[in-house]
Parts: sequence; structure tokens; C-alpha cells
Amino acid sequence: MKNKKELRIGETHVEAVRSHFPGSIVDASWQGEEQLCITVKLDMLPDVVEFLYYGRGGWMPVMVGNDERSINGNYALYYVLSMEEEDPCFLTVRVEVPPEPGEYPSVTPRVPAAVWSEREVYDMFGLRAINIIDNRRLVLPDDWPEGLYPLRKDSMDYRHRPKIAADMETYEFLRETGDSETTVIPMGPLHITSDEPGHFRLFVEGETIVDADYRLFYVHRGMEKCAEQRLNYDAVTFFADRICGICGCAHSVAYAESVENAQGIVVPPRAQYIRSIVLEVERLHSHLLNLGLVCHYCGFDTGFNHFFRVREKSMDMAERITGHRKTYGLNLIGGVRRDILKEQAGTLQLVRELRTETQQLVEELLGTPNFDARTKGIGILDPKVARDYSPVGPTVRGSGFARDARYQHAFDGYKSLKDWKPKVQTGCDVQSRTLVRIEEFFDSLDMIEELLTNAPGGPILTEDWTYTPHKFGVAVTEAPRGEDVHWSMVGDNQKCYRWRAKAATYSNWPVLRSMFRGNTVSDAALIVGSIDPCYSCTDRVTVVDVKKQTSKVLTKDELEFYCRNRRRSPLMD
Amino acid sequence: MLKTLVNALKTGNATTKYPAAPIDLPYGYRGKPEHNEKQCIACGACACACPPNAIQMTADEGAGTVTWNIHYGRCIFCGRCEEVCPFSAIKLGNEFELAVMAATDLDESSTYTLEPCAVCGKLFAPRKQIAYAEELLKNDSGITGEELDTALARLRVCPTCKRTLDAHTAQATSRVEGGR
Repeated sequence: MKNKKELRIGETHVEAVRSHFPGSIVDASWQGEEQLCITVKLDMLPDVVEFLYYGRGGWMPVMVGNDERSINGNYALYYVLSMEEEDPCFLTVRVEVPPEPGEYPSVTPRVPAAVWSEREVYDMFGLRAINIIDNRRLVLPDDWPEGLYPLRKDSMDYRHRPKIAADMETYEFLRETGDSETTVIPMGPLHITSDEPGHFRLFVEGETIVDADYRLFYVHRGMEKCAEQRLNYDAVTFFADRICGICGCAHSVAYAESVENAQGIVVPPRAQYIRSIVLEVERLHSHLLNLGLVCHYCGFDTGFNHFFRVREKSMDMAERITGHRKTYGLNLIGGVRRDILKEQAGTLQLVRELRTETQQLVEELLGTPNFDARTKGIGILDPKVARDYSPVGPTVRGSGFARDARYQHAFDGYKSLKDWKPKVQTGCDVQSRTLVRIEEFFDSLDMIEELLTNAPGGPILTEDWTYTPHKFGVAVTEAPRGEDVHWSMVGDNQKCYRWRAKAATYSNWPVLRSMFRGNTVSDAALIVGSIDPCYSCTDRVTVVDVKKQTSKVLTKDELEFYCRNRRRSPLMD
Repeated sequence: MLKTLVNALKTGNATTKYPAAPIDLPYGYRGKPEHNEKQCIACGACACACPPNAIQMTADEGAGTVTWNIHYGRCIFCGRCEEVCPFSAIKLGNEFELAVMAATDLDESSTYTLEPCAVCGKLFAPRKQIAYAEELLKNDSGITGEELDTALARLRVCPTCKRTLDAHTAQATSRVEGGR
């Protein structure tokens, strides 16, 4: 019997899998101190993932497909699990899928959190998940030709634009409405509160939403394909910045650290502190934006404007630290590019100003009579649903789970924070998520002060490492909306062989359906706003009455007015 | 309500006078990259480093030139060009008002003459780059006399011809050695 101290991090999980499913593990390897990958037999995949997920406190941020035919003749799937109870680590369950027949047993019926990833792997690689209930397309548009799988290495150049294969939208929207007669309300193709265009269908009975479904990925940019073919692996940090207009640095750090973990690069401590400081600055401006929007939905537009005025200070802070309003272009693999010593005093001054001013505004917001009425009990995210689907960020922390990558997988400067704990609320509603954001905002201010004051001296960039092809690694950062998880494997041509970027909201969309149910049409925009603070203001909403075969176009203003005042229902006439 | 009013009065006017008055920019602001045509030796380091390919080098064999070009529409203002430039010939300035009426106005370019190879006559490197290397060899390398002359002569030979010459030399040497 081995002594517990001799075990590496994550080894208890491997032993547990070995004793429960003898002979299932083909190989186990470590990609760093706190991450490991086990290769299991294909037919054991659902059992092993289910056991680790529910049996050993695992959560699933993402599953990555990879075309490894040129390396070992097979496709590979990497189910990345974040183990958050005993022995916390990143545990990746890998299976090899033979190209013929290109099928694997689906994990989704056992662990629903895998659903989007498995649908995406079909779109991108043509690998079919057996027994997956929902096998509709996810990422590719309806007019994309059948049989062209973009991420297969031999399928297409990244510049290829195939001929349009269908003129009509063929996506089938799910509904579980039972016997009740429902009216269909499509919102979109551009949604009024989400940061990306999305087509929502609300199935309503009277004013109550019975079920909802949605189609996203209208702005799929093919970044992963582009990074594999066009950019060198060290230029991808700048590319990853552009994934998001809010949490750009979080993506860039996650990508850089996935390569650093894989290649065993040790980033100098000062660079680690700088990275965390910038990540917190991002959180400041993102949360202020969301709080502003909450004001807007509560009909407190003065508050909205004031939050945006104060938010400008956090943008100034970003500009001061990175030379760029949007925290872009700071990272390189191996460290950061700018030291922040010269800006320290000014930044601390801004932190103090932000604290007092936001404190005041938050009091005003919480004192608005509409706030309670508009947000309490709205958009309930049942903790059971949350456990099944692995949502992230304030969305899951508003439902009682203390999931925060800065805590469970403390990285960079966060390792030095001693007394800090993730903020949790148990109301499960829009209000809880808002309160979590408020508390986190003040946490971030404290963290910036602490990190700035305690940052060690020394270099900010290391170039002391060698490049080894085909090593892979995973990295996580806690972006304002939740964890960004990046998985990368570099190739033998100084490019990414495969890069998978999972944005925070990717994990939060699947639970939205359950959050809609039982609420009224006037809450829909508010509920979407509560998971995702980005606000790409767009034009209109169409309402279709299925029975009468009529449709009506609502302006954005009409719906917003209804959302805020709940008078003059746009569906009445 | 009262709090909000008091807060609003206390805050006063939050907007700045920009664009009527200039705006304060922080130290190390990353604005428009400014290219110093004279300083540049057309080595192409910036073009290799530029993540979005905003900077590109295009050779024109007919005209015997190479053109350095930046398209500000593609630029992400990361400053990699500034970092890798051995001559500080490109620097990020404070200018950020880059709007133009036509996309072509976002291009800026400089053209440099290419030098032909002393052996095959094909164009192979910018004249300024060779001149710089010559300068280094004469003043900084510490080599003199015949050795310096050989090095200076080799400087004007393109990589392909250098390889052929080296191969010939090696062959000749091995024949001599083989005869021993």
C-alpha cells in the first residue's frame, strides 16, 4: 500500500477508476503538476466519465476533438474534467476513435454537460456520438454542405468558402410543451441582450413561457481553423485576445498558459502577478457594465448612466496598465510584455475612487423599489440542473455552488491570496447573480490593491525553454462571466496543431432553457441579461401567432418598455 | 431618489472637452506605429513578427526593389514591430485618430533598392542591409586584412551561390585530401 504523500496530484482519481473499472485505463500521463490525462477504452468512456463527474466531484468545462490521424491513425476526444472536491486537479479522459466507422458512445445521456461539445465534434470532425438524443447541428450554419468537416486536417483550407447548400433555415427547435396550446415567439436572429446574435424561440401560453429553444453561432469566425493554418503558435496570444471584447486578456492568458503547461515553461512570478491584476481589471469593467444593465432593466436609467461613468475609470486603469483601453496585447508565451511599476500609484488612486463611487451607486440600485420586484424569483436556475450542466461564473455561484477557477485551480497571482473565498448566493435567481457580481466587484478591488502592493520584483518574460511538438495542455482563467478553458497542442511546424478555446458563456447557454421555463415574456430579456453582461443592442423582435399564421414585428423599444414596466403587452393586440 | 440627485449634483459634468481640446494619454500609450524610412534597413523583422500581417514586404524583381508596407486597417497596435526592430525604425506614437475616407489611405509604404548577387546576378538583399553588414565587418568585427576582404566579398554573394561555392570548395579540398 502506497503512502498517501507519495501520490502525485490526481493519482487518487486514477486509482479509483482502476479499482471500479479494472482494465479500462490504457495509459495515464501528467502534463504538469496539477493536470493529467488518462486514455481509456472506447466502450468504457461513458462509465468512466459518469463515475468521475458524479462520483468524485468532477465538472465538465469542455470536450475537445482532435484529428490525430497523422500521429496515431485515429481521432481523439479529450473530455476535460475539473475535479473540485477531493484532490483538485484537471483530469482529462481521452479516447481514441478509429476513423472507420467514426463513432463513439455518447456521454451526454449520462452527463448532460457534454451535449454541446459532442454536437460540435460532429459538426467539426464528423464523429457520430451513438445514443446522443440531440443530434442537430450546433456550430455550422444550416446552409453548410453535408460531409464537409472543417477541422479535419485534410478537409479544407481556412479560406475556403463552400457553396451554400440550403436556402431556408432548417433548424428544428425543440419544445416540450405537452398538451398545452402555445404561441411561438421568435426573438432574433439578433437578440436584444446577448453579445452575439442568437435566434430564440419562446413557446408561450398566455404570458408564461412553457419552453424555449435557441440557435446560436451566427457569428462563428472559424478562429480555431485560422490559428491552425495561418498563425504561428506565439502569435495566437494576440489572436485569442480578439475572441471577446470584454474578457480578451482572460482568453489570451488561458491560451498562453495552456502552451506553458504543456511545454513546462515556468513564468516569472512578477509576470504572474501582472496577469492576475489585468484579469481583475477586466472583471471591474465587465461587472460595472452588467450592473449598469440591471439598472436599465429596473427602469433606473440614471443609475445606468452613472455606472457607465464610473466604469470609465476602470477603462482608464486598463489603459494605464496595458497602454490599451481593452487590455489587449499584453501576453506572450513565457510572460508579459509590459511592466506596470510606473503606473502603480495612479492605479491605486483609481481603485480607491472606484470603491467609494461604486459603493454609493450600489446603494442607490439596491434601494430602487423596482429592483426587488424585477429580479427576485426570476429566472430560477435549479441547483440540480446546474450540477448536470456545469455552468460557470456568477451564474452557478448564484445557485449556491462556490465554483471559481481562482479558488479551485488557483493560478498566477491568485495563489498568493490567503483569506479569499468565492462569493456565493443561494437565491438561484437574477437577483442572486447580481448580488454575486456586486460582491465580486469589491473583491476585485481588494485583490488589485493586494497584488499591486505585494508583486515581487524580477523579470517579466522568460525565453528559457525548448519547443516540443505534439505536447498538449489545458489552462483555465476566471473571466468575469466564468471560466475560460483553453486546450492546445502544438504541431511540428511552429503552429497550433489543435487549439480549442472555450468561452465562459459556452457553458452557460445550455442551462438557459430551464431558466426560461415558468417565467413571463417580459422576463426573457432580463434572464438572458443575467447570465451574460454583454449587450449587443439590436433591432427588432418578431412575434408569430402559429394558429392565425400572422406575424408582428416588435421594435426593440417596445419589448424593452414591456420588460421594464410590464404594462402594455406587445402581444395584446 | 434624493441620494441619486445629490450624487448627480456632486459629480457635475463628467464629459471631457475632447475633441475640442486635446485628450490626456497615459505613459506608454499604444497608438499609430510610425515608420522612420531613413532609419529602416528593410530587414523585414517587423513583417515576420506582425501577428495580423499588417506589415508586409513585397519584392519587385523587375524594378529591383523591395517595398515595406503597413496597412493600418489591419494593425492591432500590439507593438511587436517596435519590440523586434533592431534600429528603432518603427515606434508606436500617440496618434489614434486614424479615420480616412478611402481604405487605400490606410496604407503607408517605403521602397528600398535590392542588390544583385556578385556571382549569379539575381537580386537577393536590400542595399541598406548589406551596407550595414559591411559597416559592422569593417568597424566592429575585429577582423582585418585578407580575412576581411574575403568576408566583404562573400557579403555580396546570395545564399544559393554561397552554398554552391562552399560545395565546390569542399569538393576541391576532399580531392586534394583524397589524393594524399
